[in-house]
Amino acid sequence: MKDYAAKADLNYFITPEHTLKFGLISTLHDFEPGSAKGLGDQSLFTEFSLPSNYALENGIYISAESSLGERWNLRYGLRFSSFHNVGPATVYNFNQDYQAVDSIVYESGNFFNSFGGLEPRLAVSFMLNDWSSLKASYSRTRQYIHLAQNSTAGTPLDVWFPSSPNVNPQISDQVALGYFWNLWDDRLEASVEAYYKKLNNAIDFRDHANLLLNRQMEGELRIGNGNSYGLEFLIRKNTGHLSGWISYTYSRTERVVPEINNGDPYAAPYDRPHDLAIVLNYEISKRIWVSGNWVYSTGLPVTFPTGRFEYMGNIAPVYSNRNAYRMPDYHRLDVSVSLAGKDKPGRKWGWDLNLSAYNAYARKNAWTINFVQDDNDPNGPHAEMTYLFSISPALTFNFHF
Amino acid sequence: MKNSKTIAIIFTLMIFLWNCTERIEVEVDSSFTRLVVEGYVTTDTAAHWVRLSTTSDYFYNQPAPAVRGATLSIDDGDEIHMLTESDTLPGVYFTSPGYYGIPGKTYTLNIRNIDIDGDGEIEEYSASSVLNPVNPIDSITLRYFNAFHYTGYEIQVYAWDSPRKDWYAFKVHKNGKLITDTLYELIVQNDDFFNGNYTYGIASQFLSNDKPDEVVKIGDTITFEINGIPEEYYYYIIEAQSQIFPQTPLFSGPPANIRTNMNNDAIGFFVAYALNRSSTIATADVVDGGIPQ
Repeated sequence: MKDYAAKADLNYFITPEHTLKFGLISTLHDFEPGSAKGLGDQSLFTEFSLPSNYALENGIYISAESSLGERWNLRYGLRFSSFHNVGPATVYNFNQDYQAVDSIVYESGNFFNSFGGLEPRLAVSFMLNDWSSLKASYSRTRQYIHLAQNSTAGTPLDVWFPSSPNVNPQISDQVALGYFWNLWDDRLEASVEAYYKKLNNAIDFRDHANLLLNRQMEGELRIGNGNSYGLEFLIRKNTGHLSGWISYTYSRTERVVPEINNGDPYAAPYDRPHDLAIVLNYEISKRIWVSGNWVYSTGLPVTFPTGRFEYMGNIAPVYSNRNAYRMPDYHRLDVSVSLAGKDKPGRKWGWDLNLSAYNAYARKNAWTINFVQDDNDPNGPHAEMTYLFSISPALTFNFHF
Repeated sequence: MKNSKTIAIIFTLMIFLWNCTERIEVEVDSSFTRLVVEGYVTTDTAAHWVRLSTTSDYFYNQPAPAVRGATLSIDDGDEIHMLTESDTLPGVYFTSPGYYGIPGKTYTLNIRNIDIDGDGEIEEYSASSVLNPVNPIDSITLRYFNAFHYTGYEIQVYAWDSPRKDWYAFKVHKNGKLITDTLYELIVQNDDFFNGNYTYGIASQFLSNDKPDEVVKIGDTITFEINGIPEEYYYYIIEAQSQIFPQTPLFSGPPANIRTNMNNDAIGFFVAYALNRSSTIATADVVDGGIPQ
C-alpha cells in the first residue's frame, strides 16, 4: 500500500484563552494486493495479478481550545472526512450467499463510490490542584481503510481493504476518562486512563475463507460490530541518572459478527489483554550509559483443533470456537551499553560505541504454530512452532564530524 | 550538532534463525465428545450402511471409537426402515439387502438409544437428505497420460448435463472394487461451467500408477460412477478436503469446523444420492499407452 498526501494547517489565536485551528488533508491511497506467476518461460501458469485499487481520502477540520477560568480547559472540534473509490476498478456484486453474481468495470479516473461524514470530538480537563488533573473525552472517527487479519496460528496474514460499495466505513465512538499527575517538580509523571470504544462495521474473514489471490476477496469478508475497553497505567521519569517509563495496559477487544462463531462474541484477532513495557536508561558517567527495555504481552488469539474425527478413511480436525485459544505469551529483553569519546574543547569530531543485544535472553517467541502429522510417529499429530529471532548482538561505531 | 555528519559502522551478528521450528506442547482442552455419522442411501439395490463413531482428542492416535448398540432407522416419508448392527464391523449398521432409494424422496436418518455425552440420558439424532436424480452416462474412455514422471489414466466421460443445477461426485471401480475410496480421491464438481451441455469426453477422474490399487492391466473392467449429490454435501466434501489435504498454511483462511447436516452437535454427513455407472475394458492399446512393459 502506498500513500501520497498533501496537507495544510492554520492556527489562529483569538485571545490567549481561545485558539482556533483549521486544516485539511488529502491522501491518495494505492493498494497493491499481490500477484503470482510461474517461474520461467515454459511455465504452465500465466501471470495472475490482482488489480491495484485507488482511493482518495479527504479531511477538513476546525477545532478550538478555550480556557475557562483557572481550572477548566475545553477542546472541541469537528472534522468532515470523505472517501472516494477511484477507477480503474472492477467491482463485484455479491448475492445473499456472498457469491459474485456480476461485476461492473469503472474506467480510469472515475470516482465511482463515495462515503463521507462528520467526526465530532470533545475533551475537557479540570485541574484539581497544581500537580494533578482529570480529563474526559469523546470522539467519533470514521475509518475508511480496514485491516483483516487471518488469526490462524499457522498464517499471520494481514490484508488491507479500502471501503467500497461492498464494505462500509468503520465508525468508532470512544469515551475516555483519565487522572494525570506530576510529582517532584515534574520529574515524575503518572497517569491512569480508562476507555471504552464501540465499533460499527468491523470486518473479519469468514470460516474457510479463500485468501489465495482471490479477485473476489470482498466476498470472503463478514461484517459485524465490536467493542473494546481498557485501563492504562503510565509512570515516567524524564530527568536524572535514571530515566525511563513503565506502562501497563489491560484491555479487551471483542467482535460480534452474525456469520462467525454462531454469532457469539469472540476475541478480535489483535486482542492482547496484558501489555507491559519497561524502558530504562541509566547514566553511569557522562561517557557511559546503559539502557534496557523489556516488553511482555499476552499471546494473540488463535483457533486450535481440539478434537478429531474419521470420515471416508481420513482424519479431520474438530476446531475450537473462533479465537478461543492463544499463542504463547510474547516477551523480550533488549539491552545496550554505550561509550562516548571524550569531548575535548575545540574538537570538531567525536565518536561513540554501542554494544547491544536484541532479545538478550533468547526467548523463542512463536510466530506461527502448525499441527503436523509425522507418519513415523505413532503418537499422533504434534504442534510445531516457528520463531524468527533468537538473541541478536550488534556492535555499532558512530563517528560524527 | 547541526550540519554534522555521522558515519556508522555496524557489526551485527544477526542470529537470524529464519523459519526455525521446534516442537512445542500446546494445551488444548479435550473437546466434548460428539457423535460422528457417515451414512449413505443410494439408488442401488443393496445393503446401505451408516457408520457411527465419536470424536476423540486431537492428539489421540487411535482409530475412532465405534458407537455400538444404537437404534437406527431411515424414513423416506412413506415407510420407516430399520437398520441392523453389523456383527463384524464395529459401529456399522446396514439396511436390508433389497433396499434402494428413489429420486425425489427425502430420506431421514434417525439415531436413538445412545448416550454419547455419558450423562446417563439417552440422546436422539437425525439428519435429512433429498435424493437428487442424476443423468445417465453414454460412455467412457480411458486415456493414458505421462506427464512430469507421473503416469496414469484419465477417465473421459460422455454424458448430458441436465438443465437443472447439479452437484456431482465422481468415483472409479476396478473389477467391481471401489478404488477412489478416500476423501483425497473423491472428486466433487458443480455444473457452473457446463450446465445443460454435453461433456464431450471431459476428464473427470484420474488413476495413478503410483498407487498399487489403481494400476490398470489388460482386461481390467474400469467402471466410472457418477453421483447426483445435494449441494450441502458438495460443500461438506470441499471443506473436508481442505482440512485434510497437505497443509498449505499460508492463505488457507481461518480454520473452522466442517459443516454437517446432523443435529444435536453431531458431526459428519448422512447423504442420499442417485447414481449411474458406465464401464470400459482396458485394452492393449490403452494400457501403458500401448507400449509393452
